[in-house]
Amino acid sequence: MEEREKTEETEEERIRRNSGEVWSWGAGTDGQLGTSKLQDEHLPQLIHSLNYVANTISHLACGGAHVIALTGNDGKVFTWGRGTSGQLGHGDQTNCLNPKPVKLLETLYISHVSAGWNHSGFVSDCGKVHTCGDGSFGQLGHEDYESHQSPIQVLYFDSKHVEQIACGMRHSLVLLKGQSGAQIYGFGSGKCGQLGVSINRIKIVSNLPQAVKGLENVEIRNIYANGDHSAAVSADGHVYTWGRGFSGQSDAYHPEILSSPLKFSKLALGWNHALLLTDAKEVYMLGGKYHGMLSDPGKMSFELHPPIHEVSSQSSYGDERVSILVKVPYLNETKVIDAAAGSEHSAIVTENGEIMTWGWGEHGQLGLGNTCDQTTPQMVHLGDVLPSDNQTQLSVYCGSGFTFVVCVLSQT
Amino acid sequence: MSYDDVEIEDMEWNEELKSFTYPCPCGDLFQITKEELQIGEEIARCPSCSLYITVIYNMEDFIGGDSNKKTIQPSNQQPVAVA
Repeated sequence: MEEREKTEETEEERIRRNSGEVWSWGAGTDGQLGTSKLQDEHLPQLIHSLNYVANTISHLACGGAHVIALTGNDGKVFTWGRGTSGQLGHGDQTNCLNPKPVKLLETLYISHVSAGWNHSGFVSDCGKVHTCGDGSFGQLGHEDYESHQSPIQVLYFDSKHVEQIACGMRHSLVLLKGQSGAQIYGFGSGKCGQLGVSINRIKIVSNLPQAVKGLENVEIRNIYANGDHSAAVSADGHVYTWGRGFSGQSDAYHPEILSSPLKFSKLALGWNHALLLTDAKEVYMLGGKYHGMLSDPGKMSFELHPPIHEVSSQSSYGDERVSILVKVPYLNETKVIDAAAGSEHSAIVTENGEIMTWGWGEHGQLGLGNTCDQTTPQMVHLGDVLPSDNQTQLSVYCGSGFTFVVCVLSQT
Repeated sequence: MSYDDVEIEDMEWNEELKSFTYPCPCGDLFQITKEELQIGEEIARCPSCSLYITVIYNMEDFIGGDSNKKTIQPSNQQPVAVA
């Protein structure tokens, strides 16, 4: 940011102050940071092209190297970043360096979006789901293995009311609204069990949505997918996971409940770890054996803390399936209000309005001004930030190797 | 340390890169060529970062120059349909 005299607020600053800010950092060589540049950023960058809509952004979905922004007031969708598989939905296969509206969805009011490795999902308020991008594994749900560069409605769900979609590396999950019986469907690669449709250990790829088995009688609030993982959080605060096992555990071919006395409100999946936010605003990590220890040890900031592994939960499958749930250390009882997981990094927002990151940092995805890994949460300093009072509300989102923060003024 | 072990059948053939590829957590792709596989190379590297994966495959499947042997069945990259 260039220096300005503080005496008079410029028009741009005034508008920003009244709307909000979007910041990004990390891997950026496909344009996913929205900075108009094709380069990594090790420190938070203010995304000017989104300032004017920052206040209306209700959700960002960050994928392998692309981003989908959803505006809550009018259900509009903007995408940018890698578009080589058609995942941006712009009708082409080119990268896009700046947020651009998805024209084909303009006649719809979009209520939920998700970004996978190279594919995208959009749910409209009337319960229809559209997908585009890489379809090589059937992850678009169109009963073929074609890729599409514009969003196309998944006709399988035409007579149903879709509430959410979750896109992973090579699979997708769909959550139906108010459905008795099967509420979750999976399609795409099920190699690690991430579709949850088979109780046998069959290597399965399905381009046709199939009902996830075992959650028929559970009221599901949210579904999640990333890498080869799938997860759901129920209305009563239980977490279910299926797909690739955490920390070297065997894969789960159908949803398994995480046995814990804690009640969870939110979950974020990486490729080898998950962050779980409790009702009491504490954050726990599942898996992540090498979280913050991926790079060359010589390049790490080597404050190797003794692993404070407060094992709070073990699932009841005997020695074979012991899920290690660890309370994220060094937060000193500070409450956490938001959490996001990249493929190998983590980001949280504390109740004090602080952003903290840890994990793999080689592309600057921790926003700490370097490329070091971190095993414990570190404070990120946004430059030139909005007045940090209770009126601002921060949300954090992670793509594979990058991070976004949306900062808006709360409605008072 | 190898980031992961990946079977060759789980890698995708990328015609543009002339390589078998697999997603890297940085957003780029781990890559290994047929020529590398023929000489027994089992490390697929990412051009953008320090991570690499170990490729699980039978070297015999790649020896002899016939790249279209039936034993190799990577997932084919499908052409993008014009919408």
